[in-house]
Amino acid sequence: MIETENLTRKFGNLTAVEDLTLQVNQGEVFGFLGPNAAGKTTTVRMLCCLIAKTRGKARIGDFEVDRENDCLAIRKMVGLLPENVGLYESLSAYKNLDFYGRLYEVPLQKRQENIERLLKLLGIWERRDEAVGNFSKGTKQKIAIARALIHEPQVLFLDEPTANLDPEAAKTVRDFILELKKEKRTIFMNTHNLDEAGRICDRIGILKTHLIAVGSPDDLERSTSKRKTVVHLESISDAVLAAVKKLNVIKNVRTSENKLILDMDNPEQDNPQLVRTVVKAGGNVQFVTELRSSLEDVYLKLIREAETQ
Amino acid sequence: MRLWKSWIVTTKDLSVFKKNKYILYSLIALPILMGLLVPVILIFSLQAEASSATQTQLADAATILVNLFTAYFVVIAAVLPTIIASYSFVGEKLEKSLEPLLATPTTDGELLFGKSLAAFIPCVGATYIGALIFVIIIDAWSITSIGGFLVPNVYWAIVMGVVTPLVCVLSVEANVIISSRVNDIRAAQQLGAFVILPIILVMVLASTVQTFPLVTLALILSGGLALADVAMFYLSKATFQREEILTKWK
Repeated sequence: MIETENLTRKFGNLTAVEDLTLQVNQGEVFGFLGPNAAGKTTTVRMLCCLIAKTRGKARIGDFEVDRENDCLAIRKMVGLLPENVGLYESLSAYKNLDFYGRLYEVPLQKRQENIERLLKLLGIWERRDEAVGNFSKGTKQKIAIARALIHEPQVLFLDEPTANLDPEAAKTVRDFILELKKEKRTIFMNTHNLDEAGRICDRIGILKTHLIAVGSPDDLERSTSKRKTVVHLESISDAVLAAVKKLNVIKNVRTSENKLILDMDNPEQDNPQLVRTVVKAGGNVQFVTELRSSLEDVYLKLIREAETQ
Repeated sequence: MRLWKSWIVTTKDLSVFKKNKYILYSLIALPILMGLLVPVILIFSLQAEASSATQTQLADAATILVNLFTAYFVVIAAVLPTIIASYSFVGEKLEKSLEPLLATPTTDGELLFGKSLAAFIPCVGATYIGALIFVIIIDAWSITSIGGFLVPNVYWAIVMGVVTPLVCVLSVEANVIISSRVNDIRAAQQLGAFVILPIILVMVLASTVQTFPLVTLALILSGGLALADVAMFYLSKATFQREEILTKWK
């Protein structure tokens, strides 16, 4: 659905995005992670035909980004939630959505249906005639998401959808994005929130001018460091430790309180043998868990590596 | 260019203006004040001369003064866009609503035209309301004092029908350019007022010229303004581009 090839944007001497090659599939929720000024917003703006690319290629569906005639078609098929909600504060929620519905050429009846459906879904229907200026930040954010969806776009770009929201409002917005995911829309989401990205996104791209890494949250967590197996015991005896160290599959073992922390190449295959050995050596196993890098660890590691290069 | 798209933007902007009391009062106050005040001053000064002048002399003096004061309505048409156009563009910047607007399937020209039209319509409308009050008061006086209507005359018709809208367009376009460079509505209004000073100066000077037929002068002025409008249109169009707005507008 979204395809870029060596997409680059420079502002004078400053390179905001360089050689971004990426593919986002239809119905996928793709999270774009990166520090401030990493080029996330610039990428979204290029993909929405708001600013031109310096070089490279980008396509949304069958349309070429940056081609004059295709840009209107792209803007028609995408919905954008910018970093700042940008609603007309003196107009009502209904009038804000109606205005955008008209600009997106949604026929009157469909427009009325969509506004009602979206505002009901977001729990704002009863307050539809109130001026937007009276609403809380979270409610404004919800209206802005409704605005991005008023024309039922195939692709939705969300730039920091939960930034500056309190936890409750952020949860409402996250739940709404998960609802959209069920509708099989392609969602491209810029975020700083790693936990949110891990929970919502099918795949994540980490950007710092260049695309540093891309993959599912699980893949990324596995990619940067080996997983460890943790065996929680009632107590660790010398016999248990000696028996475990004798196993060929164990690359490294260390202890922490009553836990054995073990490095193995293939834990799925070797963990049963490990547990049998521990039990045979007289160990009382309480839990066996997996220790892996969090998305935050992965993100920070990759960003630091990118900074030192 | 799809004019219906521009009209959607225009109607939205007009709805926003309607909700803003500052815009509403500013827009109405100046033309009404001028519409009432100018004829009253004019009538008082003519009444002072009435006892010592013949009716023909009084009519000649009244015509000169009416033509002179007509120029003030052109000045109003130049001043009002500094209030409204600065809200139209800087207001969008302050509300950060330009990005979602630019993301819609509309062209830069359609957006610019729609927003300019939204600034133009109320300014010209308010100016005409002021001018109508002026005409009613002046003619009510002239029919009783000199036995005929003073306005509309050819000069007045050209000034109100051609010069006023052209000046208004020029002022709106100047304000688009100013709005792209400032982040504060008051700064935009102050700069806008500065830009329209030459227009005011030209109008006041033109209305005092005695040696040249006023109608010809108004036509020459209209031609000059039309050219200036076209030049300013291209300048404002160059300023109002997605890329410029998102990356260079302050």
